[in-house]
Amino acid sequence: MAAQLLGVTPTGAQRGARRAGAAVADAFADVPRFLWLKLALLGGSFRRSVWQIVGLSIASLYGLGIMVALVGGLIAARFVPQTEIVRDVVVLVGAVAVVGFLLLPLVFGVDDTLDPRKFALFGIPASRLSVGLVAGSLVSVPPAVLAVCAFATVITWAHGFWTVVIALIAAAIAIVTCALAGRVSTAIAGFLLDTRRSRELTGVIGVVLVLAISPLVIYFSQIDWGRQGTGVLTAWADVLRFTPVGAAWAAPADAVLGHAWLAALELAIALATVVLLWLVWRALVDVMLVTPGRTGDTKVYAGLGWFGRVPAQAWSVIAARSLTYWARDSRYWVSIIVIPIIPALVLGSMSVVHAIPGQYLALLPLPIMALFLGWGVHNDVAYDGTAIWLHVVSGTTGLADRVGRLVPVLFLGVPLIVIGTIVSVAFYGDARAALPLIGVSVCELFVGLGLSSVTSALFPYPVPKPGDSPFAQPQNVGAVSALVQGFSIAIIIVLSAPAIVFGVLSVFASPGWAWASLWCGVLVGAAAVVAGVVGGGAIFNRRGPQMLEAAVKAA
Amino acid sequence: MSSLPEPTPDEEPQPARAPRASAPRPKPRGASASGAKPAAASASAAKPAAPKTPAKTPAKTPAKTPAKTTARTPAKPRTPRSTTSRSTTPRSTTPRAPRAAQPTTRSKPAPKPQPAPVPKPTALGIRQLYKRFGETVALDGVSIEVPEGSFYGIVGPNGAGKTTTLSIVSGLLRPDSGQVVVHDVDVWKDPNHAKRLIGVLPDRLRLFDRLTGAQLLYYSGTLRGLDAKTVKARVESLVTAFGLENAMGRLVADYSAGMTKKIALAAALIHSPRVLVLDEPFESVDPVSAANITEILQKYVASGGTVVLSSHSMDLIQRVCDHVAVVVAGVVLDSGTTEVVRGDKTLEERFVELAGGRKAAEGLEWLHSFSE
Repeated sequence: MAAQLLGVTPTGAQRGARRAGAAVADAFADVPRFLWLKLALLGGSFRRSVWQIVGLSIASLYGLGIMVALVGGLIAARFVPQTEIVRDVVVLVGAVAVVGFLLLPLVFGVDDTLDPRKFALFGIPASRLSVGLVAGSLVSVPPAVLAVCAFATVITWAHGFWTVVIALIAAAIAIVTCALAGRVSTAIAGFLLDTRRSRELTGVIGVVLVLAISPLVIYFSQIDWGRQGTGVLTAWADVLRFTPVGAAWAAPADAVLGHAWLAALELAIALATVVLLWLVWRALVDVMLVTPGRTGDTKVYAGLGWFGRVPAQAWSVIAARSLTYWARDSRYWVSIIVIPIIPALVLGSMSVVHAIPGQYLALLPLPIMALFLGWGVHNDVAYDGTAIWLHVVSGTTGLADRVGRLVPVLFLGVPLIVIGTIVSVAFYGDARAALPLIGVSVCELFVGLGLSSVTSALFPYPVPKPGDSPFAQPQNVGAVSALVQGFSIAIIIVLSAPAIVFGVLSVFASPGWAWASLWCGVLVGAAAVVAGVVGGGAIFNRRGPQMLEAAVKAA
Repeated sequence: MSSLPEPTPDEEPQPARAPRASAPRPKPRGASASGAKPAAASASAAKPAAPKTPAKTPAKTPAKTPAKTTARTPAKPRTPRSTTSRSTTPRSTTPRAPRAAQPTTRSKPAPKPQPAPVPKPTALGIRQLYKRFGETVALDGVSIEVPEGSFYGIVGPNGAGKTTTLSIVSGLLRPDSGQVVVHDVDVWKDPNHAKRLIGVLPDRLRLFDRLTGAQLLYYSGTLRGLDAKTVKARVESLVTAFGLENAMGRLVADYSAGMTKKIALAAALIHSPRVLVLDEPFESVDPVSAANITEILQKYVASGGTVVLSSHSMDLIQRVCDHVAVVVAGVVLDSGTTEVVRGDKTLEERFVELAGGRKAAEGLEWLHSFSE
C-alpha cells in the first residue's frame, strides 16, 4: 500500500508491502512478553499482605459488578426501539470513559510500571516498545472492564452484518483510543511533570478538576430528568458524537439508524484520533528513552520562616513545622480546599430535593466545615512518613507533639468560626442563632482535635507519601483506614450531639435553648481537647517505635 | 522500600558461621586476645572460641554464650585514649561545645589503634539483642561492647542486621529481648535520658524535607531542648563545617542524596551527644565530603566522644575505625580492635572470609564470549 503510493514497480511494491508487513509484525513481536509482564505484576500484587488481597479483590469485584451491569444494560438496549436515545447514552458514557482515561493519570499520579524509561536499558526498538507498552497497559481492571463493555456494544448494534462489522471496528478503535490516551497522559504526568514541584502541581490539577466538576454535578443534579432529560442528553450527545472522545461510540449507532455518511464521518474522526494519539505516544517514547529524569529549578527561601517567629520550645517549633507543611505540602492543600466544597455539595443536593426550607440551609455549612476541619488531622502522624523518627529519637514528648500539630487547625478554625458565624447569621436573618452555631462548631472542632490527637498516635494508616500527588493511592491500604475514618467521625458527632440537639431545639422550639447549646458545646469541646491531648500524648510517648514501624511499612 | 528491618535471608551466605574447608580460618589469636583488646573483651564473646576446627564449630553457640566477665569495669571518668600520637589534654565530662565547630590545632587526626593498657568504660553496651520480623530472624543474640572514645565500625553483608541493631540502639525499634546501655543508661528503660546522650543518623528514613536546610537544623536542635541562641550558633558552625552554606535556603527535598546525608549528620551532631550512632554515613557522599566528615568525626572521638557506624566500605572502616564488629545473619562473628580482627590480612579479606567466603564465579563462562 505504502509502496504503491511511492510509485515503485509491482515487484518492488510487493517487496515493499512485505517489508511494511514485516515491520508491523516486528512491532508487535514483543506484545506477548509485555502482556506476561503485566500479568506477572498483577499476580505479584496478590502475593502481598492479606488486607491488600482483600482490597484488590473488592476492587476487582466492584469492577466486575459494574461490568456485568453495563453489559446487561447494553444487551438489553439491543431491544429498545428508541435507537437515538440508546446512542446518546452510549456516547455520553463512552465519552466520560475516554476522558477518564485521559485525565485520571494526571490527577492520581502515575502508574509507572510501564514507564518507557524503565525499559530504556533493555535496548528494545522504540516501535516494539511503544506497541508493547500500550498492549501491556490493557492488562488491568479498568481497561478490562472497558474492553468487555466496548465489545458488548457490538451486541447492542447487531442489526445486520454491516452494523456488526462497523461496531466491531468501532469497539476496537475505542479500546485503543482509551489505552493510548492513558499512556499519553501517564507519560506526560510522569515525564513533563517529573520534577518535585511540578509533581505537586498534579495535586493542584486535581483540586482544580474537583472544582470544575462540582458545578457540572450541580448542573446535572438540577435537571428535571423526567421532563427535560432527553433534551439535555441529545444536546450533549450531538456535540460529543463528533469529537474524538465520542465518535467511536456513535459510529455503529448511526449505521444502525441508516445515516451511513454520519457513521463514516464518525469513524474517520475516531480513526484520526487513534493515529494522532499514536504519533504523540511514539514521539513521547522516542524522547523519553533518551531523556533521564529532569531536575527542576529550586526556590530559595530566606530566613527561618515560622520558626523564627515562635519561641524555641518543642511544642512551638512543632507548630511552626506543621504550619510550614500546611503551606508547602499539597496534601494539606487538598484538605483545606475540600472543606468548603463539602458543604457546597451538601447544600446543592439539599436545595435540589427541597429537604430543608431555604433559610435554615444557611445554618448548615459552618457546622459541616467545623466537623471536617477538626476531623481532618486524625491521621496527621502518617503524613510525616518515616520522618517521624526525628521526634522519636529526640525524645520529643507526646504532649508537645500533640499540641504543636493542633496549632495550624486552630489558625484556620478560629477565624472560620468567627467569620462563618457572622455570615451564617446574616443569611439566616436572626442574630440569636449565633449562640448555637458557635456552640456546635466549637464543640465539633475541639472534639475533632482531641480525637485526632489520640487516633493519629494510635492508628496511623497509610496516606500518599510526601511529594506524591495527594490523590495518589497509597500502597498497603487496609480496611483499617476506612474503620478509623468512619469511627472517628461518628464519635465526633456523638460527643457533639448534646450541643447539636440543644441548637436544633433553640431554632425550632424555644430560643431559650441557645445558651445551653453554647455552654454544652464549649465545655464538651474543652474537655475533649484536653483529654485527647493528654491521652494522645501518653500514647505517643509509649508508641514511638510502633508509629515508626507503621510508617516504614507504609513507605 | 522497607528500610528499618533488613530481613532478606536469601542473600545471607549460609556457610557464614562455618567457613569452608577451602578457606581455612585465619590463625586464631587466642593468646593476644586477652591482652590486646581488653575493653572489647566482652564484645569478643561473639567470637567463636578460638582454636577449633572451623567446620565443627557449632554455628550459634559462640554468640549465645557471652562471657561478660571483663566487660564493664566500674564507671570511670572518661579517660582520653592513651594514644601517643594524640594530644592528651584532660577532658571534662561537662557538656561540651559542639566539637564539629571547634577549630583544632591537632594536625594528626588519624587514630592509630593501639592496645590500651587500662580497660575503658563502656560507652555503648549492646547485649544479647534478639529481634525477629515474622518468620525472619533479624538478630540472633547480638552483643557488642563499645568502649568510650572509640570509633567503632559495624560491617556485614546486606541483610545482616546492621540497620536493625542500630535502630534498636537509637530507640527506633523495640527489641524482642536484650539490653542496650548508653553510658550506664538503659535505652529501653529510661529512653528519655538515653536519647539525650545519643545522636542518630538513620539510613533510608525520610527527613522533614519540606523544610529548608536551616529550618531542619533549627528544628532538630530545638527538639533536642537547645535554646534559640545556642541552636543558631551551632547551626552556623555546623553549616561551615559541612560545607552547606549554599544549601541552607533550599528545601531538603531538593537536595542530592549526599547533601541529604550531610544535613542529617549535622542534625545528629547538634546537641553534642556523647555517642553517635550513624547508619551508612558515607553512602552516596562524595570523597571530599567523606574526608571532611571523617575528620569531623575523628576530632569528636579525640575529644572523648564515641562513634558507632555501619558501612559497606571496608577500606574506610579499616582506615578510620579503631574497633570493628563483623555481623553476619544476625550474629556477631568477630569483634574487637580493628588490628586484632583483621590480623595480618586486610579487613576486606578477613570480612569476606567470615561472611562465608567468596562465591566461586563458576558457571559464568558464557559471560566471556560476547554475544554481539
